Amino acid sequence: MSNRFIKQLKGELPFWVERGWVTPGGDRAILEHLAGQEREEGFLVHALAILGVLLLGSGVVTFFAANWSEMAKLAKLAVLLGGLWLAYGAGGLLLARGEHPKTGQALLLLGVILFGANVMLIAQIYHIESHYPDGVLLWAAGALATAFLLPSQPAMAAAIALLTLWTGMESLDFNRVHLGFLPLWALCLPRIQAQGWRFAAHLALIALLLWSLFTFFSLDAPSGLYLVECYALAYLALFLTGMLMETQGAFAPFAPIVKRYAIFAVLAGFYTLTFPQMQSWDRGAGYRAAAPADWVAAILALLVLIALLSLWHRQRTASAQRPGYLLWGQRLIAVGILFLTANLFITGELGGLMALGFNLLFFAGLIWLIVAGRETNEEFLINIAFAFFAFALLSRYFDTFWSLMDRSFFFMGGGLFLLAGGYFLERQRRRLTREMAAQRKGGAA
Amino acid sequence: MIRRIGLILLLQTLALLAMVAIKQWTLSTGTEILLETQPIDPRSLFGGDYVQLNYAISRLRPAELEGDDTFDREAIYVVLAKGERYWQALSIHHERPEVPPDRVVIKGRVQFVQEGSWNPVTGKQELAKELNVHYGIENYFVPEGEGKALENPKSGEKVEIQVAVDSLGNCGIKGVLINGQPRYRERLF
Repeated sequence: MSNRFIKQLKGELPFWVERGWVTPGGDRAILEHLAGQEREEGFLVHALAILGVLLLGSGVVTFFAANWSEMAKLAKLAVLLGGLWLAYGAGGLLLARGEHPKTGQALLLLGVILFGANVMLIAQIYHIESHYPDGVLLWAAGALATAFLLPSQPAMAAAIALLTLWTGMESLDFNRVHLGFLPLWALCLPRIQAQGWRFAAHLALIALLLWSLFTFFSLDAPSGLYLVECYALAYLALFLTGMLMETQGAFAPFAPIVKRYAIFAVLAGFYTLTFPQMQSWDRGAGYRAAAPADWVAAILALLVLIALLSLWHRQRTASAQRPGYLLWGQRLIAVGILFLTANLFITGELGGLMALGFNLLFFAGLIWLIVAGRETNEEFLINIAFAFFAFALLSRYFDTFWSLMDRSFFFMGGGLFLLAGGYFLERQRRRLTREMAAQRKGGAA
Repeated sequence: MIRRIGLILLLQTLALLAMVAIKQWTLSTGTEILLETQPIDPRSLFGGDYVQLNYAISRLRPAELEGDDTFDREAIYVVLAKGERYWQALSIHHERPEVPPDRVVIKGRVQFVQEGSWNPVTGKQELAKELNVHYGIENYFVPEGEGKALENPKSGEKVEIQVAVDSLGNCGIKGVLINGQPRYRERLF
């Protein structure tokens, strides 16, 4: 039970009593019941247990690092394995008895941390030196086993963080596209969904965004442009998947999380495409040529996927009434897809023109998001649209005036532009979110 | 619940013991070879409590050796033959070659390919392509304090490494010799 939910409930209950949905006095009983549940093992216990585990884990590692050489190999092994068994044993015992489940989970996390420490220390004792990301992969596999067999959300969170570290090492340290991350990442999803682990779901989507970023930096393609186009389309497909999840009972709780990260990635992709340099040049080469056949095939495959997902969503919501803003959204997506496809066959000389087109499309998309957020009462859409609006305006200011103005005037102008623009945008954002809050209360009354 | 915990402990303990067992298999079944070390930084061969080792076979020039010619950052197989005292590289291959009993094949990974390199013998920059190769025997941990004692090898002191190479090409450090005398020897416990 989250504090946020209880706070929200406290705000809503007086209206529910006023409307007669909850009997007078019933509101207090509900809150007392929830407070009783919270007292059993609240957030503080959870936070302190996790913090304790992290401190204990790092303390154990540093203690052995300082006294390592005085111990015989067999004693070292006994200490390492004993610590591992003790942590898992104590955690399992608490969970089996149903007492202090959060402390039990924290001890399992300690087990996961100790397993990783054991991998590193055994590698040191026996001078095992291999491809070093493999050590992190083994650690992640241990965390995954714990997450799947018990189940444990902290272990799943650790596994996702370790898989991200692993793919970061493979991609950036060895400068290669690391596809091995994707099947393991996908393996985590059914468990996250089945257990309703929201925190792990957030982490999994952040991990996917980071993998996309690592791949962008490690790709030796003649141009990163086509990869960004692929990302924009792939995350658009993920956004549509989020919309489909809304219509499926078991997946619905995760739909807002999926949609938020997907829309962020789509906007980031289109924002990147608004830069004239991105449209015109190859990395370190001259004007870019038309896209190679592999990229054309990848983008066409993604377009087919988007079309199929759209049709599926249309079929599932056939009986529902379609508001006007959705129709405009579909038109915008169609124009966006047209631009992305045309861009494959256009060479760098026309990059400036394409960038202009993408800018118009991007700003139109942001306005549409604000309208959609207003219509659906989703503050997140309005906030993210305003944030990207500010970023894009600032970028265009830099693009346009950096070479045209004297540097001192450029910075003074930039400062004024930031102050005035920031004030105006924040004022508009607050006005909209205030109106939405008032509308929600009015609706409830 | 207890059964599941037991299963996790079994899996994780087996994974950890497998790490030890695989290494031990290489050390006990592998052919023993002696490699000459070339300090990365002659002023600090032993850095603190772990030693960074560089070998004569860590830098290979395909043009001067038999086998394949073009390499990227990839796994390679190097055929070694015993020289007067140390084992030396004869050829480099993409795939593991069959060799007569007096030779061994060691598996390595190209870290980077250098287009031109400095030749310490001639003191000149040469244009020959050179592979920088890691075999997994580049670091050696020594007990606390002992690394510092060996930080500056005395003049004339020679550091040699005894390495075991198994039938799959994997290798591991079996011992460290100073002037031919064993200083460290690897044991299971």
